[in-house]
Amino acid sequence: MGDAQRRRTWLALAGPYALFLLFLLVVPFANVAIYSVHPYSPTKVFLPELTFANYLKIFDLYYLRLFGRTLRLGLITMAVCVVLGYPLAYFLARSRPRVQALCLFLLIMPLMVSAVIRVFGWIVILGRKGLVNQALAVFGLDPVRLLYNETAVVIGLVNVFIPFMVLPIMASIERIPPSLEEAAQNLGANWAQMFWRTILPLSVPGLLSGCLLVYSLSISAFVTPALMGNARERMAGQQVYDEVLVSFNWPSASSLALTLIALTGVLMFCALLATRRASRREAAP
Amino acid sequence: MSGRVELEVRDLTKRYSPLVSVGPISFDVHEGEFFSLLGPSGCGKTTTLRCIAGFEALSGGSIRVGGERLDDKPPHRRDVGLVFQNYALFPHLTVFDNVAFGLRLRRVSKAEIADRVDRVLQLVDLAGMTTRFPAQLSGGQQQRVAIARSLVLEPRILMFDEPLSNLDFKLRLQMREELRNLQRRLGKTSIYVTHDQTEALALSDRIAVLSHGRIEQIGTPDEIYERPASVFVAEFIGSSNMLPVRIVERGSDVTVVVTEGGLRLLCHAAGDAALDGAADIVALVRPERVHVEAPGGAPAPRETRAAARIADVTYLGEDLHLGLELSGGDRLRAAMKNTNAARRVAAGQSIEIVIAAADLRLLRR
Amino acid sequence: MSSRWPRPLVPLVVAVYVGLLAPLVVVIAVSFGPSAAFEFPPRSLTLHWFEAFFESQALVTSFFRVSLVVGLLAAVLATLLGTGAALGLVRFRFFGREALEAFFLAPLVVPEILLGAALYLFYARLAIQASVWTLLGGHLIICTPYVIRTVTAGLVGLDPRLEEAAMSLGATRVQAFFKVTLPLLRSSLLSGAIFAFIISFSDINLALFISGPQSTSLPVHIFSQIQWQGDPTIAAASSLQIVIIGMLILVAQRIFRLRLVI
Repeated sequence: MGDAQRRRTWLALAGPYALFLLFLLVVPFANVAIYSVHPYSPTKVFLPELTFANYLKIFDLYYLRLFGRTLRLGLITMAVCVVLGYPLAYFLARSRPRVQALCLFLLIMPLMVSAVIRVFGWIVILGRKGLVNQALAVFGLDPVRLLYNETAVVIGLVNVFIPFMVLPIMASIERIPPSLEEAAQNLGANWAQMFWRTILPLSVPGLLSGCLLVYSLSISAFVTPALMGNARERMAGQQVYDEVLVSFNWPSASSLALTLIALTGVLMFCALLATRRASRREAAP
Repeated sequence: MSGRVELEVRDLTKRYSPLVSVGPISFDVHEGEFFSLLGPSGCGKTTTLRCIAGFEALSGGSIRVGGERLDDKPPHRRDVGLVFQNYALFPHLTVFDNVAFGLRLRRVSKAEIADRVDRVLQLVDLAGMTTRFPAQLSGGQQQRVAIARSLVLEPRILMFDEPLSNLDFKLRLQMREELRNLQRRLGKTSIYVTHDQTEALALSDRIAVLSHGRIEQIGTPDEIYERPASVFVAEFIGSSNMLPVRIVERGSDVTVVVTEGGLRLLCHAAGDAALDGAADIVALVRPERVHVEAPGGAPAPRETRAAARIADVTYLGEDLHLGLELSGGDRLRAAMKNTNAARRVAAGQSIEIVIAAADLRLLRR
Repeated sequence: MSSRWPRPLVPLVVAVYVGLLAPLVVVIAVSFGPSAAFEFPPRSLTLHWFEAFFESQALVTSFFRVSLVVGLLAAVLATLLGTGAALGLVRFRFFGREALEAFFLAPLVVPEILLGAALYLFYARLAIQASVWTLLGGHLIICTPYVIRTVTAGLVGLDPRLEEAAMSLGATRVQAFFKVTLPLLRSSLLSGAIFAFIISFSDINLALFISGPQSTSLPVHIFSQIQWQGDPTIAAASSLQIVIIGMLILVAQRIFRLRLVI
C-alpha cells in the first residue's frame, strides 16, 4: 500500500472518532475554560471582561470547606475500600476458575447497573421506614437516622466504587505465582507473615492503581452524595450541578469544574496507564 | 550415609476424587541418602512430595521424620526444605534477602544471618551476588539461590521438585554434577522428584519408580536397571526387548522358555513362583546385552545362541542400533557401540545373536 | 490450586458480597411486594408494580423510546467508531501513537458529572435543544473507549500474518480484513457493543444534564422519582434494568474476559 493511500486509510479509520472527540470533548471543555475566566451576570450569560475572580473564589471559606469535605470523604472511601476490597481481591485471585467466574460476575454486575438503582436500594435499606429501622422496631428500639449524612454517603460510595479497588489488586495478585506463597511457608512463614512479606509488597502496583481510581471517582461523584447526603454537607459534584442547573452561575461552575478536573485528571491518568499496561500484557498471546 | 531411617512414609494416600488417587505409598529414606521419586507425569511423585512438604493434606497414612509424626504439622513448621521447579525466588528481594528470608523469620541475629548467608552462598558458588535481584540472574544461578535459601536453614531433609527441567541440556548436565557433589559433600538427606530416568540413575542412591499413584519398585539404580520388577519399570528405564514366552522347563539356575516364533531361550531362573502357570509371561533383554557375532560359534552353558538376519541398521554416531529378525519371526533390537568391528555390520547380513541367561529376565505382563 | 487461606477470609468475603448485592436484592424484592411503603421482605408476591410500570406513559417512553433506542444506537455507532480507532492505533505505526491512544481513552479519565456539565454548557451556547441526539452524542463519548479497549485487546492477540496469508492466496487487503480479521474479532466487537449498550443504558451523570423533557432516560426518571418519594413502580423499572443488564453481562462474560475492560 502506498504511503498516501496508507495515510488516507488511517484517516478514514481513526479520523471519525478523533473528530468526534474534538467536537464533543475538547471544544466543550475549552468552552468551560472560557466561561471560567469571565465574570458572572444574572442577566446575560456572562460579561465580556476577563477575570480570575472565579478561581480566587475557591479560596473562600465555603469552597475551602467544600473541597476539604470532598477530599476527606474521598480519602475515607478509599481507605474503607482498601480494607474491605483487598481480602476480596485475594480471594478472587486464588479461587478456582469456576468460583472466580461467578464471583467476578457478582462483582461487576452491580457496577454496570446504574448507580441510581444501587442508591435506591440503600435508601430502602437505610431509610426511616427502611429495613434497618424495621429490624430495630422488632426489638422495640427507636428508629435511627441513617440517611442524609456523611456516613450514608461513604456507605454508598464504597458500595459503588469497591470493584474499582478489587479488580486492579486482583490482577496484581494473580501475577504472583502460588509457588511463591508455598516457598515462603516452606521457609517457616505462617500465613500472616507470608502475606506481609510476599504478597503485600508485590501487590503494591495494583493497590496503588485501585486507590487512585477509587479516590478520583469518589471526589467527583454526584449521584450518591446527592441522594444519600444532604445539601449542607455536600460534595464538589453536587456544587457543580447546583451552579449549572439551579443557580445558573456558569462561570463559577466552570472554574469549579476545571479545578476538580485538575485534581482528578492526574490521578486517573496514572491509574489508567498502570492498568492499561497490565491488560495489554494479559491480552497478548 | 548411615543406615538410620530419617523419613518414614507409611501407606500415604491422597484422594482427589473417587477415580483419581495416589497411594497407598510406603518407603523409607535413610540418613544422608539421595532418594529419587521417578515416574511419568501424573504418577503421583509430585503429590507425594507436596504431602511431605505439607501443601497437600493426607487422605490416609502417615509421615514420620526422626520418629516424630510430620503430617499433623502445618507446612511452615516442618523441617523440610523444598526447592521448587520454577525456583519461586522472591522477585522483590535481593539474593541476600531471599536467602536470609527464613533466618529472619526465626529471629536469628543480624551478624549470624550475614555469616550463614555468606557461607552458604560460597557453598553454591554465588559469593558476590548478594545485591543482585532474581531477574538479573541466569537460570542456573537462580536455581542455586533457591537451593541456598533452603540449605541455610539446615533442614533435616532437602527436597527437589524437578529442579533441572527448566534448564537447557548442557546446563542440566552441569547442574546435575554440581548437585551430586553438593549432596555428597554435605551428606544431606535428599528427596528428588523427576521424570528423567537418566537423571535419577546418575544422582540417586536409591530410586522409587512410580506409576499411576503406586510404587512399582524401590531399589538402587543398578537393581532397577538390571532387575526390573515389572514390565512398567523395564519399559520406563532404558529400552528393552520384550518377547511373549511360555515356560517349558524349570531348572535350578536356568529356566527354559519358548517364544511365539519357536525360539528357545535360556533365562535367569525365576525364583518367583507366581510365574508358574501364568499365561502372560514376557522375556526381557536389554538391547546392549544382545551380542551380535558371526555365524558358526559354539553355544556355551547358560547362553542362548540363535541365527538371525539384520533387518536394518540405524547409525546414531556413538551407537549403532540394529533391528534383528529371527528364524521364527521374532524381532529383537540390539545396540552396540560404534567400534571399528561394529562398522562392518550391514542390513541383510546373517548373523548369530548371543544372550547370556543372566541377561534374560522373566516378568509377568 | 491449593490454598490455605486464613479462616476469617471466606466469611469476610461473603459479608462484603452481601453488602455489595444487598441493594440490588432489596430493589428486586420490593418490586414484587404489594405495599407502597417499600416493605422487605414482601408479604406476598405481586406483579402489580410491573403493570403500573407498563401503564405509565412516562416510564415506558423513557425505557423504550429513550434509553433502549439510545443504547442500541450507541452500541452500533460506538462499535463502528471504536473499531476504526482501534485499527488506526494498533495496525499503524506513527509518531505520537501513545499520545493518541491516551487522547482516545481520555473520556475514561474525565469525571462524568463534569463532562455532563461541559456538554450542557456547550449545547446551551450553540442553542441546541436537548434531545435523543444530544444524549446519543454524549454517550458516544463515554462508550467508545470501552469498544476501543476490547477491540485493541483482540487485535493485539491476533496474528497479523493471517491477513498476509490471505493476501498471498489472492485476497486484496480489504477482502482479507473482512474475511479473516473481522470474523476473528467477533468476540471483541460483540463484547464491546454490549458494554457500550450497558454504559449508555445505565448512564445517569450525563443524562442528568443533557437529556431534555422529551428525552428523559430511565435512570434520570428513577433519580427524580427517588427525590420525590415515588412508589415501587420505580423498583419495578429498576428490576427490569437489573435483569437486562445482568443477562447481557453473562453473555459478555462467556465471550470475553471481562476484567480486561474495566
